[in-house]
Amino acid sequence: MSDETTIQEFRSAYSEPEDIWARDNYFHDDVERHPAVREARAAFGPAIVDVVRFRNETTIHVQPKYYRELCNYLRTHERLAFVALTDVTAVDMLKLRTTPRFDVVALLYSIDNRVRLRIKAGVDDGEPVPSLVPIWPGANWLERETFDMFGIVFEDHPNLKRILLADDWDEGFPLRKDYPLRGWKEYPSYNTERMVPRTRTRWTGRGV
Amino acid sequence: MSTTTDPQWTPDAIDLIRDVPATGTYTITDEVQITDREHQLVLNMGPQHPSTHGVLRVILRLDGEVILDCDPVIGYLHRGVEKLGESHRYAQVVPWTDRTDYVAAPMNNLGCVMAFEKLAGLESPERAQYWRVIFSELSRIASHLVWLGTHALDIGALSMSLYCFRERELILDIFEAYCGARLTTNIMEIGGFSRPIPEFLPQQIRDFTKIFPQRQQEYAELLTANPIWIARTKDIGVISPQAAVDYCLTGACLRGSGVNYDIRKAMPYLVYDRLDFEVPLGTHGDVYDRYLVRMEEMRQAVRIIEQCLDAVENMDTPLMAYESAYVIPPHKGTMTTAEDMQRHFIWVIKGFSPPVGEAYVAVEHPKGENGYYVVSDGTSIPYRFRIRSPDFVNLGVLPYVAQGAMLADMVALIGTIDIVLGSVDR
Repeated sequence: MSDETTIQEFRSAYSEPEDIWARDNYFHDDVERHPAVREARAAFGPAIVDVVRFRNETTIHVQPKYYRELCNYLRTHERLAFVALTDVTAVDMLKLRTTPRFDVVALLYSIDNRVRLRIKAGVDDGEPVPSLVPIWPGANWLERETFDMFGIVFEDHPNLKRILLADDWDEGFPLRKDYPLRGWKEYPSYNTERMVPRTRTRWTGRGV
Repeated sequence: MSTTTDPQWTPDAIDLIRDVPATGTYTITDEVQITDREHQLVLNMGPQHPSTHGVLRVILRLDGEVILDCDPVIGYLHRGVEKLGESHRYAQVVPWTDRTDYVAAPMNNLGCVMAFEKLAGLESPERAQYWRVIFSELSRIASHLVWLGTHALDIGALSMSLYCFRERELILDIFEAYCGARLTTNIMEIGGFSRPIPEFLPQQIRDFTKIFPQRQQEYAELLTANPIWIARTKDIGVISPQAAVDYCLTGACLRGSGVNYDIRKAMPYLVYDRLDFEVPLGTHGDVYDRYLVRMEEMRQAVRIIEQCLDAVENMDTPLMAYESAYVIPPHKGTMTTAEDMQRHFIWVIKGFSPPVGEAYVAVEHPKGENGYYVVSDGTSIPYRFRIRSPDFVNLGVLPYVAQGAMLADMVALIGTIDIVLGSVDR
């Protein structure tokens, strides 16, 4: 038995085991040490498509089928406890990749651990996403807004209709990348075509 | 026509009204809806109602004076700020955020600017961070004063609004002394402050912090122990801690229910980790608790401002980061040196391009968590610009708290959420 092995045995026997729940792990450069990533990979395996880390923020890409299950798992997990939903929105990836077209983004927050986590589910146009309303009733309006702006359909949503735009808005979904800034319809421009007939007014002597 | 001879008046309806507890836990059953359909009244409130704080429309279904159900209708002030943000260069987006929550404009700038800075990977200098805290806490007081004045006005205390707007004028004067604008200030800039702080400004702010605690004590004496105020606010609109978290509430609506989540403490940004202040928490989660929480937040804001003023008193470090790629060069250099003039030209004409990636930054807005989620594709225009406005999410709890409440409490329930429709609709 050489000296090296005895030293290693000694270390393994007497040094404290590394705390896998330490707060540093949430911000470690190696994203696989992130406790939420580790637990999600253990529970969902191949459903976790990708894990990205940028500017100290962790993003988990998940298959849309498991999107709600993953959120619920992280929420009900004892140590992770991502009990708060901060935001639900979407990104139209039309100019960045071919498929899937949209990323549905849910931002979770753990009040106990003081950590944020972003969950992304890539969906194509018209493909439904499970709604988070059964878990967080507060997701109701956030998902309605996402539907209003991107046309993403949320399954099991109790009241999926437009919220910011008018109920009878028929020009599509404005935050999609193929939606022009001024909309699809031709509106008279106020600078060139005059809405009001050019008549001389009594008071100014000029056109209206 | 007396109620006893009215054939539609059934004993069930009387029970319905009598059984409603004051805590708002009354639930609607299908049976009640069917038997009392005759008594129900659909009432439209707003969008031009003086107590809806702007253009909020609420459709109420009433049984007598009990609210069975309510449906808030928003979007009358929707201007598409997110779409506009995705078609302007980074520095041009910042003034748009003034127009979302216009009663606390510097706070909106702060979140937006910090998100861009995080994306670009630059940090503002220490002195600028202190001044950012000063301006954001001043805007917190300004926002809470508007809330207190209008909320008390809704409930019936007319004189409160006059007093509150009197003190708000002093804060707007401070903003005006720095940047020339009172409402849409655009105070925060990417990298810090490009305009110098006037020499008289610290003294002007100190004068305000000297006056304000006494004035706030006067408000508290008018309201806190006032029996009418207590009758109109205690046990009204109770939100349990669990419900507050499930409905994604933030800010005073969440802390009024006793959940300790303040971004300034939980994930300190700027220099908040060096400052000494308390986070007030409610115990009961009703309108009165949220009133107490916001009043205490104003007192703590004064404390924070005084500490920051002490810290910057003898500080002579720059106010603007000098990062050649991302930050506008100093005015003096632009006028005298060729390098800075070229940089200034490029910065104005082409803007700057942060690396590909995404960032989310949230600040503790007077109304809750104001988050900015920005996705960059490497060009000088944000690929995705998302505003997570606090009052949009907080307003979603209104159908829950209004269910089973009395019609007369509706204005108190809208007021306690503290909404600004420019921020709700964006």
